[in-house]
Amino acid sequence: MDNQTVHNDNEVILDNRDEKLGEGVGFERIRRITGYLVGTMDKWNDAKRAEERDRVKHSLAENE
Amino acid sequence: MEGLIPMIRSVIKRDGRRVLYDQTKIASAILRAMEAVREGNAEDAARVADSVEAKLEAIFPAKSPDIETIQDTVEHQLMQYGFNDTAKAYILYRANRTTTRDANTALMKTINEITQEDAIDSDLKRDNANIDGNTAMGSMLQIGSAGAKAYNEMYLLRPEHAKAFREGDIYIHDFDFYHMTTTCTQIDILTLFHNGFSTGHGYLREPQSIASYAALAAIAIQSNQNDQHGGQSIPNFDYAMAEGVGKSYHKNFLRILTEVIEDEKDEDDLQDAVEKILTDVERTQGELAKLENRPDFDSRLAAALSEGMGVPTDVMAHLMQRVRSRALKRTDKDTYQAMEGFVHNLNTMHSRAGAQTPFSSINYGTDTTPEGRMAMRNVLLALDAGLGHGETCIFPIHIFKVKEGVNYNPGDPNYDLFRLSCKVSAKRLFPNFVFLDSPYNLQYYVPGRPETEVATMGCRTRVMGNVYDPTRQIAYSRGNLSFTSINLPRIALESQHDEAAFYKRLDELLELVAQQLLDRFEIQAQKHVYNFPFLMGQGVWLDSDKLHITDTVREVLKHGTLSIGFIGLAETLTALYGHHHGEMPEMEEKGLEIIRHMRAFCDKKSQEMKMNFTLLATPAEGLSGKFIVQDQKRFGKIPGITDREYYTNSFHIPVWYPISAYDKIRLEAPYHALCNAGHISYVELDGDTARNVEAFEQVVRWMHDCEIGYGSINHPVDRDPVCGYVGVIGDVCPRCGRREGHRVPPSRIEELKKLYPDIVAFRGIE
Repeated sequence: MDNQTVHNDNEVILDNRDEKLGEGVGFERIRRITGYLVGTMDKWNDAKRAEERDRVKHSLAENE
Repeated sequence: MEGLIPMIRSVIKRDGRRVLYDQTKIASAILRAMEAVREGNAEDAARVADSVEAKLEAIFPAKSPDIETIQDTVEHQLMQYGFNDTAKAYILYRANRTTTRDANTALMKTINEITQEDAIDSDLKRDNANIDGNTAMGSMLQIGSAGAKAYNEMYLLRPEHAKAFREGDIYIHDFDFYHMTTTCTQIDILTLFHNGFSTGHGYLREPQSIASYAALAAIAIQSNQNDQHGGQSIPNFDYAMAEGVGKSYHKNFLRILTEVIEDEKDEDDLQDAVEKILTDVERTQGELAKLENRPDFDSRLAAALSEGMGVPTDVMAHLMQRVRSRALKRTDKDTYQAMEGFVHNLNTMHSRAGAQTPFSSINYGTDTTPEGRMAMRNVLLALDAGLGHGETCIFPIHIFKVKEGVNYNPGDPNYDLFRLSCKVSAKRLFPNFVFLDSPYNLQYYVPGRPETEVATMGCRTRVMGNVYDPTRQIAYSRGNLSFTSINLPRIALESQHDEAAFYKRLDELLELVAQQLLDRFEIQAQKHVYNFPFLMGQGVWLDSDKLHITDTVREVLKHGTLSIGFIGLAETLTALYGHHHGEMPEMEEKGLEIIRHMRAFCDKKSQEMKMNFTLLATPAEGLSGKFIVQDQKRFGKIPGITDREYYTNSFHIPVWYPISAYDKIRLEAPYHALCNAGHISYVELDGDTARNVEAFEQVVRWMHDCEIGYGSINHPVDRDPVCGYVGVIGDVCPRCGRREGHRVPPSRIEELKKLYPDIVAFRGIE
């Protein structure tokens, strides 16, 4: 894709920044820890991080 | 001169330095000890000092003695000479100095870790996820905290409490704030607003629009947060915002009414005339113009306006409809913007020395007025929309109060809002749900008196019963004073499968903790109103408005709770009996026995002291990993007990144990009844299930049916910051197709820009 700046009513404007759009950007994964919502586990202490890793999902079957 | 023993010339200090020997220092220390116990005099001191020197010269003919040896020798010589009391005093003083020095060293080490290490490498710096330990303010806060803890342990704790704390039998929460304040409050903002308040600079009158109500609610939370170390919650958010909605509606109604009449008559400046007519009608009808008036209100008003303003009756009737419609829309929009601002505010404001966003919570669900409903619908919609780039709001915690007859069943006035709550929660993880019909909550409930509705601090703290004042068993204006947790697994491990031994030790620790909570209360009780400029000075805490600024706060504080907490019931059961309560039905009863026992102690203590001792299922953020580290050292890594990095929270089934949502709820629910200081149950759903609102609601209904008190449903909520997609993201973003860390596929950019022109990121800004 060429990096041109084309001014035309029918075309969108593309520029240099599009080349790298998203590079190095992770997905934000919200988790709940001790009642807080957090977008990253980076700020959490080691114990809560370990617990979060261990979590399993609970199925919705009524009789197990 | 042969035979002469060389004199001591120098001594070696603890830090390794060599300094000049000075006998008078030894003699002075001895004399001080003698004077303290009134044994001996200066001459005696000199004599003992001489003998010490002689002894040292004999032991160290050619070397310099170190301080410890000198002190050992002093003790020995004092006893030799029969100055036993002096020897004792000297030994004690020496031991104290050692403890102080060790503490200072430990403190310095802690401060070193805070200042030198990156948070990622320092578990200590991540003790509170809400504080960024990498910033200047965050670091300063942590240093202050470390200093306070060192001081408090040295000077404010009884030795047996300090020992239990140090050794990991108990954990005193928020220990840094020990001599400063209390934990949290459920703020009745309605009363606060009615009375007007001040945050220190200038007086804030009762707000007059929904925007002001929302703004002041945020300010109230922030101001109160500055006086306490815990979170802040609003138990009556819907009732309070309803007032704001009503005031905004009235303003809008009058303005729009004026405008349409001005347009109709092609005149200006008719506001005063219209207002006068409106006010007259309102007086006659006995109600203000509001979202829903009695049926004849509009026809009366139309008739009065028709006559007073000279507008034909049929025209006026039609205009009235237009006004109603537009005023409604306008107010709805105002309310949405106010709620949006509120939510944004609480996610971004910093208080507590600029280092931390307040832990804020709002409770709503039961106001059935049109105004309350409008407020609730809009706060849910604002929560759904998220922040500027669609990010999920972290604060405030939203709690929806579920109540049969009000919002739980089809046909209930707020059922639509319950459904909306489920829908929003399935996307945004809030609201959580409090269940007012669970018997231990229902016992307080009086319809028409919202202060009798159990509310919660988002973290789970619950303050409702009141042994101190049984006429005030209300949620408003009260909170927790402090809490201390017991290491249950440790007791189980020490008991070695002996149930009787377990309960014996548990009783010892329950007594110890109760005493420690009372000690801390003593300190808190002697504070004055001026120590809590907002909480007490502005009358937020129950009955503080009756106090003078210099009064102590003892009596009003008693409305609060002193809570005994615990952690790791699952590991405790495994240690005692071999299995936890998720694995084996019999263990459920064993678990309940233990928790009932603890609750019985709290109830008994409450009656004895006429204070509110309550049992807490401790939230355990920092605590989750602390006890287990100490227990691993002591007992090693025992499978199912100490082989992880954390103890299971409170009475929960372990997070790693496979169990259905229903069974987890069913097994945990009975503990909610027992933990009157606060409790919660979580269910983990996968993303797909969570998008299915029916399934989500089913889980909430199970919670209700099992008599859960406070429940929360977890599911993965992912967001791509580049394209703004919110939902479940595996390896590839469903909207823009990029992989984590990778660029958006170039072929897609043009298409995405056309599809999502509003998304700023596609202008390359991120």
